[in-house]
Amino acid sequence: MTSPQRFDLIVLGAGPAGGRAALTAAAAGLSVILIDEQSAAGGQVWRKPWAEPAPARADGREGEGLRAALDSSDVTLAYGRRVWSVTEGFRVDSLGPEGSMSCVADHLIVATGAHERVIPFPGWTMPGVMGLAAATVLLKAEGRLPGKRVVVAGRGPLMAQVAAGILAKGGRVVAVVDRMPLTGWLKALPALATQPPLLAQGAGWMGRVLASRTPWIFNHHVAEARGTERVGEVTVASASGDCHVLSCDALVIGDGLVPGSEVPRLLAARMRFDRLRGGWIPDLTADFETSVPQLFCVGDGAGIRGALQAGTSGELAALAVARKLGRKTEPDQGARLRGAFARASRFSDAVAAMLSGRTADVARIGPDTIVCRCEDVRRSEIDAATAEGMHDINQIKHVTRCGMGPCQGRMCGDTVQELVSLGSRRSREEVGAWTGRPPLRPVPLGELVGSFDYGDIPVPEPAPL
Amino acid sequence: MSARYDLCVVGGGIHGCTVALFAARGGMKVVLVERGSLCREASGVNAGTLTMQMTRVALIPYALQAHAMWASAATWLGHDVGVVVCDGLSLAFTEAEAALLSYRAGRRREAGAPIDLIDAKAARLVEPGLGPGVLLAGHCKVDGFANAYLTGLAYRRALIDAGVTILEETAATDVQRSQGCFEVDTMGVPVKAARLVIAGGVWIEGMLGWLGVTLPIKVLVNQLAVTERQRPVMRTVIGIASGLLSLKQYPHGTTVIGGGWQARGDRERGGYELLPDRLVGNVRLACHAIPALKEARLARAWAGLEAETRDALPAVGPVPGVPDAYVCGSVHSGYTSGPYLARLLAERILGREPAMPLFPIDRLLDPIERAA
Amino acid sequence: MQDADISIEILLDGQPIRVGARGSVAGALLEAGVAWLRSSPRTHGPRGAFCFMGVCQECVILIDGRLQQACLVTPRAGMTIERGGAP
Repeated sequence: MTSPQRFDLIVLGAGPAGGRAALTAAAAGLSVILIDEQSAAGGQVWRKPWAEPAPARADGREGEGLRAALDSSDVTLAYGRRVWSVTEGFRVDSLGPEGSMSCVADHLIVATGAHERVIPFPGWTMPGVMGLAAATVLLKAEGRLPGKRVVVAGRGPLMAQVAAGILAKGGRVVAVVDRMPLTGWLKALPALATQPPLLAQGAGWMGRVLASRTPWIFNHHVAEARGTERVGEVTVASASGDCHVLSCDALVIGDGLVPGSEVPRLLAARMRFDRLRGGWIPDLTADFETSVPQLFCVGDGAGIRGALQAGTSGELAALAVARKLGRKTEPDQGARLRGAFARASRFSDAVAAMLSGRTADVARIGPDTIVCRCEDVRRSEIDAATAEGMHDINQIKHVTRCGMGPCQGRMCGDTVQELVSLGSRRSREEVGAWTGRPPLRPVPLGELVGSFDYGDIPVPEPAPL
Repeated sequence: MSARYDLCVVGGGIHGCTVALFAARGGMKVVLVERGSLCREASGVNAGTLTMQMTRVALIPYALQAHAMWASAATWLGHDVGVVVCDGLSLAFTEAEAALLSYRAGRRREAGAPIDLIDAKAARLVEPGLGPGVLLAGHCKVDGFANAYLTGLAYRRALIDAGVTILEETAATDVQRSQGCFEVDTMGVPVKAARLVIAGGVWIEGMLGWLGVTLPIKVLVNQLAVTERQRPVMRTVIGIASGLLSLKQYPHGTTVIGGGWQARGDRERGGYELLPDRLVGNVRLACHAIPALKEARLARAWAGLEAETRDALPAVGPVPGVPDAYVCGSVHSGYTSGPYLARLLAERILGREPAMPLFPIDRLLDPIERAA
Repeated sequence: MQDADISIEILLDGQPIRVGARGSVAGALLEAGVAWLRSSPRTHGPRGAFCFMGVCQECVILIDGRLQQACLVTPRAGMTIERGGAP
């Protein structure tokens, strides 16, 4: 194994938060490596579109700006690499097209973003059912429609963006099924209005959807999706039980976002449960430093705040690293960034509130519904284990295999914790979160071992006979 | 002061649960105190291997009995822990390993383990998934594995059936002994019992300290890994001569890779960090033995704590100088042999003569302490 | 530079099929009307790509003989894809 490459700073994740962090640190003269699983920077929100030149949309332009700035910076760019191990020190091991790579740095900024929360319902495992964020990837990064007749469902502004995107590409949106009532949007409006360009963008999406006469069904949720090898129809219902059946060939659905906080958990940073911020997040200082010295978490992975605050949080963390290393930074830069962060709070908090998990949505899951997709574990099995006295989330994992599959509990974790909390009448804090374990993502054994000679394996001394 | 219980067991791993179970079935009123939940430390996170070929020679007779216990778990435990009985192979890829294997297999055979040395061709008949380069293999038909993570559930149900009071999420912090009764402090609430068993895994060192006994326990931090599901690629339990590999594929298709490579950890924080180079080393051994594992992906890796005494033999028997107090733990390959050793101790506590000798800790204590 | 119209031939479960060359294998198959990728291990239910960002692992199928996430692999002419996933 080659010895690890040393940097001043390693940044994990090249979305708005990680990208800005890397640029800021490099500008302060630090040696920085930026690692991302995707083949280009931008994260999910500013994902590189499949076609050049840059599209006219604002998020496309911002993504292009970030990519161009990184390309012309001194940041070492390591795209297309899957990080599987992060250990004390900090050492980061990743796999990519050129094999395995290790790098070390005294400072680590984690900007690993979020993944989608989808509250389970019968048929959510059916092909053709996918996340809202998945639909944005298809539309933006691949220039593809999720289907010809698409039901868009869930909660939050992403529904409007996806529905508008489908219409713009010539697809048909059967309906938008919104868990929120209209009043929910109206209540959020003053907060959203604090960021006029973003409000205008959202209003544009909404306008396009309404102009197409697509029904926007408020206060309803998807009760069931049916099909044989692909979703063919969905039943939507209100809390009071009135139902509609919609015919479709795709259902895109998202009930908010969950922070991807696996790295701080793996490094045993102090975590807390914050419903507004999407779930378990690290305790942070004003500089986004965790309880583990020199480990920083920024962007949605440190709590759902959206792209607006993500970039700023990345820059603030990078400035803190630069200061720790004795680099001169612009005297008023920190104050300016803090001001921008504070001004964005009202908007970000309003969006985060829309995207946070609701206990009532989880309580409604039927007993036969599959909760853990990887291991096909139903709600009734989780409830039975809870009723038998198992109240720790890792214990539930042991007895049901829930969360033991290849997604490593990312898709079901928030729901299972909520179910155990409901069943045991314990708080989410008491129920806890999955223990952090490597690899951070499944990695092919063949790539992990590479080519080697048996004689070179550093086999430890045998145990006594 | 009267005792509420005949027996208090501190520590809810395999050792503590088994002692509690058989003591209760023997008519005792038993309470089990566990700071977390049952079998969630070493007993739940180990590799689940039930093998003679990694067992210490002195423990082979016990391991054979224990293997039979595991194989019939549905009968005496009453609940399935996914036990699969199959052939086991210990492989040698180099001349040095072949020499080590010949010697170690011979010693284990003398102790009663039915291990035969076979060549590569014969080994391949036993395990068609083997990679090239095998020089020699130890073949044992008494081998197999369990689903370690199901252990806690099985014992929980059995203990409840047997009438054991289970106090989970209850940390014992000290023990007083007065008027022929132990009083175990559990977060302010005393648990009173006439007899006491210390079965706290790597934490028995501190627990014996409550009784004024100093027994140094080394903490091993064993690294483990599991693949995601894949097609069947092996049908035996595989090890290597040095013992630094254990490998088996479960019926649902995942393969657990172990062997005792050391991660970072301690009593306070548990196994908190896996070292990437050691993980890769362990996985390389696995892929060298069974090349088709390279098709799969690594799903998860973790570390569990194993307790080891100075002579790496068990601490199972009475606590010297403290009447009615016992210790049960530090059994090398404890998952394999634990149930039998713990059952022997339960026999002793019930006033019967155990079928095989225990491993009293007197041998491990300072002469001064022994005199006192 | 990728073009929306470029299509390539791949081998899907032994049968040749033309798919768009851009984006991911999972997206290209979906566009070609192929949503079913594998059966789940316990209930053997039908599954397809779900998150399209490498998290959910639902699209893990044999691509050129190795279990890979179809949402993270770019289609290539002549690629062999076997659906069904791990058992």
